[in-house]
Amino acid sequence: MIGTLTLSRLEMLRVLRNKRYLIFTIGLPAVLYVSFGRSTTAFANGVAFKAFYMVAMASMGAFSGALTGNAQRISQERKDGWIRQLRISALPASAYVTAKILASLVTSVPSVLIVLLLGRFYGGIHLALWQWLTIGVAIWLGSTTFAALAVAIGYRFMPDTVQPMTMFIYLVMSVLGGIWFSLGHSGLQKIGQVLPTYQIVKIGTTVIGGSSVPMSAVAIIAAWLAGFVVLAAVSVRSTAEKI
Amino acid sequence: MTQRGTGHSGAPVVSFQDVSKVYGSVRAVDGLSLDLRSGETVAFLGPNGAGKSTSLDMLLALRKPTSGRIQVFGTDPYSAVKAGHIGAMLQSGGLLPEVTVRELVALMAKVHPRPLPVGETLRRAGIADIAGRRVDKLSGGQTQRVRFALAIVGESDLIVLDEPTTAMDVESRQMFWANMHAEVAEGHTLLFATHYLEEADQAADRILVINKGRLLADGTPAEIKQRAGAKRISFRLDRVDEAFLLGLPALVNLEIRRDLIQLQSSDSDRTLYALLDAGCRPREIEVSSLGLEQAFLAITAEDDASLAAAAPAGAHVKETVR
Repeated sequence: MIGTLTLSRLEMLRVLRNKRYLIFTIGLPAVLYVSFGRSTTAFANGVAFKAFYMVAMASMGAFSGALTGNAQRISQERKDGWIRQLRISALPASAYVTAKILASLVTSVPSVLIVLLLGRFYGGIHLALWQWLTIGVAIWLGSTTFAALAVAIGYRFMPDTVQPMTMFIYLVMSVLGGIWFSLGHSGLQKIGQVLPTYQIVKIGTTVIGGSSVPMSAVAIIAAWLAGFVVLAAVSVRSTAEKI
Repeated sequence: MTQRGTGHSGAPVVSFQDVSKVYGSVRAVDGLSLDLRSGETVAFLGPNGAGKSTSLDMLLALRKPTSGRIQVFGTDPYSAVKAGHIGAMLQSGGLLPEVTVRELVALMAKVHPRPLPVGETLRRAGIADIAGRRVDKLSGGQTQRVRFALAIVGESDLIVLDEPTTAMDVESRQMFWANMHAEVAEGHTLLFATHYLEEADQAADRILVINKGRLLADGTPAEIKQRAGAKRISFRLDRVDEAFLLGLPALVNLEIRRDLIQLQSSDSDRTLYALLDAGCRPREIEVSSLGLEQAFLAITAEDDASLAAAAPAGAHVKETVR
């Protein structure tokens, strides 16, 4: 257990020292929010645009960090033999994946927090404490489900395949999930609403609108998480002899 | 088996019983059986693709044998690794980038049930001066020393090294083996794979020669050399009688170039006495040791030849046996 926690701490340090993380997970959503999030008149998803955009940008930073960063690293570390190195140490077999997920959970906190703080103090969004806490936790946990998908991809594919693959998933999840712009009630929205990213934003905007968390959204996100976890477990098992 | 007689008794530290590993139609390891005793320094010697790495991978629970059984310290490889019994350094072992050398060594020490102080490990591996450097900013030799540090980060009873001195310069290589001998003197068992014959000859007190996944020879360096006809005798003789020469005792190989005769013998004294007793008076007699390299080449060549000769029958036998 101590070993797993030490590895997790080291994983967090690595993420924080990484430039990609600072630029894409922390910087980009904040910059986009500051650039486009102050419109006072527009509405989206039934709430003020600046509130929708806050939820969207907070989700984007967290989920892209959990997906792209992790998948790329896991794949590279597998190729470099770091996973082999850990397997011949006394660390429990589960330590590597556990540490990745824990590090993801911790390092996605600042990316969510910064955009919410910008929403409050730059965008001037006023919400009750329960609303802040609920959307914060929903975005944080919902987005980190992508870390499990990252494990599945990282274990299965080589780094040069992982790059375009995660980029594609990122685009689909962002556009069809209604993160980059609201889909309104278009045909795309019909497709997009099955995606976890769409449901994360939906929880955010519903709560901001004053209603309680829609259980259907929680159920859809949980289903995706379950699917990601199964994929991850299968990938880890099936590559055991190749690592 | 070795000069260091003490501490070699008791149950084997490592035991392979008829272990095979098959990838599709390739038998990477083919019916390997061997025992390692406590305190031995054993070289696993073979050409590339001989099955050394696959065998070590199975010993370290990275791969499962297709058939056969491996026991390490009386348990299965996975449990032995997780109990910290084995410290290993793999050719293919990677390091975590973006952390410092000290952070990485400290992590592995924390994980080990019987860790050494981090400073001690850094010193032993000769990386104390680069402890603050980032792992991804090291040279090849430095990286190799960090890998070695991870193998000795705790009190492991068995140390496994897969081609440990690859990418090291001469100085590092010497320092490496000096450290290693200090480790083994403390009662550790050491198994290392190498294709440097010199290294096996100098560092090991027992050599396992492996080719095509099978164990061809097992003995001290002296025994291995002897097994392949380890002495070379050359002399000049005026009247050469090939049939007579071929009948010499302990003869392994014979080459005749006019009056110059070169032969390999597994017992140079007997061969030479028989020659003299028969009344021959050879001139310019030279007796020299065959290096381990020639011995090794002879053993593997013998094996390749016998495999080729026995191929149809051998294949049939194998099928009926398994």
